[in-house]
Amino acid sequence: MLFPTVEYALFFLAVLAIAWSLYRFPAAHNSFLLLASYVFYGFWNWSYLPLLFGISLFSGLVAQRIQRSENSRVRKTWLIAGAAVCLATLAYYKYTSFLVTTFLAVWGRFAPPPRLAADSPLLPLGISFFVFHAISLLGDCYRKKVKEPVKIGDALLYVAFFPQLIAGPILRASRFLPQLAIRRNPNALRVNRALLLIVGGLFKKVIVSNMLATRLVEPVFAVPQSFAAWDTLLAVYGYAAQIYCDFSGYTDIAIGCALLLGYRFPRNFNAPYTAANPQEFWRRWHISLSTWLRDYLYFPLGGSRKGGLRTYFNLMITMLLGGLWHGAAWTFVAWGGLHGSYLVAHRIWSRIPWRPLVRWRQSSAWKWMARILLFHAVCAGWVFFRSSSFEIAFAVFGRLAIPGAATLATAPILLVLFLGLAGQWTPPRWRNGFEVELARWPALARGAALAAAVAAIEILGPSGVAPFIYFQF
Amino acid sequence: MRNVTLTHPIRQLFLVLAGFVAAIVLLESGGLAKWADRLEVGPLRTVAVPVAGAVQKALEPLGLSAIRQDALETLARVGWADDAAQLAAAAGANKAPSAGCGAPTANAAVPGPQSAPASAATAAGILAAAGTPPGLRAALPNPVGADAPLAAQVPRTTALAPLPPVEPGRQRVVALAGDSMMAVGIGATLMRQAAGDKNLRIVKAFRSGTGLARPEVFNWMEEYPAMLGAEKPDVVIVAIGANDGQGFVVDGKVLPYGSDGWRKVYQGRLAAYLAMVGAGGARVVWVGLPPMRVPVYDEKIATINRIAFTVVSQSPRAVWWNPVAYVGDEAGRYREFMTLPNGRSLRIRSADGIHLSDEGAALFTTVLTKWLDPPQTRPAAAAIPVAPEQTAPVAVRPKRRSRRRAKG
Repeated sequence: MLFPTVEYALFFLAVLAIAWSLYRFPAAHNSFLLLASYVFYGFWNWSYLPLLFGISLFSGLVAQRIQRSENSRVRKTWLIAGAAVCLATLAYYKYTSFLVTTFLAVWGRFAPPPRLAADSPLLPLGISFFVFHAISLLGDCYRKKVKEPVKIGDALLYVAFFPQLIAGPILRASRFLPQLAIRRNPNALRVNRALLLIVGGLFKKVIVSNMLATRLVEPVFAVPQSFAAWDTLLAVYGYAAQIYCDFSGYTDIAIGCALLLGYRFPRNFNAPYTAANPQEFWRRWHISLSTWLRDYLYFPLGGSRKGGLRTYFNLMITMLLGGLWHGAAWTFVAWGGLHGSYLVAHRIWSRIPWRPLVRWRQSSAWKWMARILLFHAVCAGWVFFRSSSFEIAFAVFGRLAIPGAATLATAPILLVLFLGLAGQWTPPRWRNGFEVELARWPALARGAALAAAVAAIEILGPSGVAPFIYFQF
Repeated sequence: MRNVTLTHPIRQLFLVLAGFVAAIVLLESGGLAKWADRLEVGPLRTVAVPVAGAVQKALEPLGLSAIRQDALETLARVGWADDAAQLAAAAGANKAPSAGCGAPTANAAVPGPQSAPASAATAAGILAAAGTPPGLRAALPNPVGADAPLAAQVPRTTALAPLPPVEPGRQRVVALAGDSMMAVGIGATLMRQAAGDKNLRIVKAFRSGTGLARPEVFNWMEEYPAMLGAEKPDVVIVAIGANDGQGFVVDGKVLPYGSDGWRKVYQGRLAAYLAMVGAGGARVVWVGLPPMRVPVYDEKIATINRIAFTVVSQSPRAVWWNPVAYVGDEAGRYREFMTLPNGRSLRIRSADGIHLSDEGAALFTTVLTKWLDPPQTRPAAAAIPVAPEQTAPVAVRPKRRSRRRAKG
């Protein structure tokens, strides 16, 4: 079930009504949300429900074991065993094909190729997200950040809660489980904030992302050889806007839906293309994933506590694995490697103590130049991320040097591209201002305005619903 | 200034939602009816169609849903819409009267597929059932193969009669038509291979998520001519049918997938589509659907292949090409990986177990591009086999294979 569909709208309205009718009975309320989450997931393919249930149950049971023990060695053993099972499940479903083809490619260089009759498993929707949720539960229990004993029902709902189930944001168990323990407050809902998030998310996904995808990005990345520099450059910028609007649009809708149900999700994007350095970019882009990788990978590796070279190594490993998390292909590894190298280069650059350089780094001229440089460096990474092979990625780079007319630069495309990128520079007070202004309207008028906005988005968007990019992860 | 509170009680939420539901039903009753009509045959559709239809009928006198249709037409006129048929309609002088339901592909002037009896055996009846606009019906020849008896099986290999060499100073126009089976893998690979060939001009006439079974969802009889525009293809390569393993409704009667009635109507729609893409003398290569990973789905696709072969084999200018010899195993079944004799391993199918990967498609698109623009050194009279001579999982290196053919 995709968010921008009538099916989801009907499903969500029904869930909202029933869930709030049960708010006085937390156990029934949570059980109902769990059931609704399984219906939501089963709508796509019910045959993977046992996997979702199994991973959730397993992580809940292991989390209980970790909590019950005071022996740090035992706790660590349970953590490692639990995380290993979760990661092995993810590896089996997501990386079998990648590992097999890589292995065979290496093998074929030395010996006659073996005959392969088996197929790799089909990828369950959202497995990367629900496995990371399961690991987060184990990690937070190990670090004693979850204060109350974990209930199995809560663990099941935490992993499967439908607004975040298939494309995040990645919630921390330590922040979500306490929300399940308290009774929903029906008198303190940020209704207008939630509605603005949902409408804004729909606008970003249905209009900006879908239009850029179908009319600019897909044609160029399918056959880069057919396009010259201006079209190629527009497509690269277009993909930067598309992936931002696609993913942040999804998480905005997820956050808005959760808010209407009375739950708070963390912010997942904060105007990432306004960042002036790679470190800041990762504090603004897919925040729930970057903080997950920081807390559960970079810090356990030693972070920046073990000297300069080890820090660089840790950064590279974190980003390479982060790239692999996004997709089982070497192009994703290259994307992660590129970002790792940006982070290393930025650390080296920002630590050069030469006084004139220190002053230059603090100037606003440099900050603006750095923003432009970083944006283009991020775009270079997106080329690998979007391309189905290195051949295509290098063809895209190659076409940037071929002069020619911009055949895809129509007025609607340029307008949505501008909105997709420039929208990040709008001051936060605008959104707050909207929320305050809406609060003055009568409730029925707000509902009618929301309907008019949804109808306009439906009319302005391309026909059909494209799946969200992050579903594949 | 009055203090404004940002948090509200649940009652406010439900008032907002009540306002939303009332307004969206008023504004989008036509769109909701269209949504219900497009649902797959099943319990949700059974409930949604009469409810949405009744709401639309009740609100029709208000004329609000006409706003939507007018907005869509205005957007098409200013170049905002991406739908080829809508753009073509907007570009034309004749503005279609408002249908009041406003699906992006809907055209009120065109009778829907339900307007002709499913069993109509006449050419006009078949074309009407396929959703063919009246203007196009007159221009199309009779749909060949619409009532041919279903073939028991499909051939594993077929041959392509050679095309004449491309005339100097002229390009061979090749249309790539179909659904995501063309868009993913085959189309992209063919376009990349043809990108450097000045003798070929590729026209994209494919769209993912479409098919021939549900013209009320996406009407290829309107969309294909609009996608071509002024182009007159010399060759059309088609890959379509992956979304067609579903039942549909004709004259208010549900025809379950695979039933005799379903087969007859689907065969008619497929024949009408073939007649349309082949009109004007274009040569048609109908790429059969490859074996699929999930057995139930694979069975459906096998039936669709048989129907397509039945129709295509009746047409003198069309050939049904079976990709199984390139991408199937020895028994013609699904396989995901293959290893070339040089040791290079390929993943020939995409992760969904349905589409071909670029590398999988390239196993046979290289043959197609050579057929489309044969090297001048190649004897023109030699027919090009459409399948490799061996069908073992270990594929022959493409370059070596083409040299062998050139010799033969």
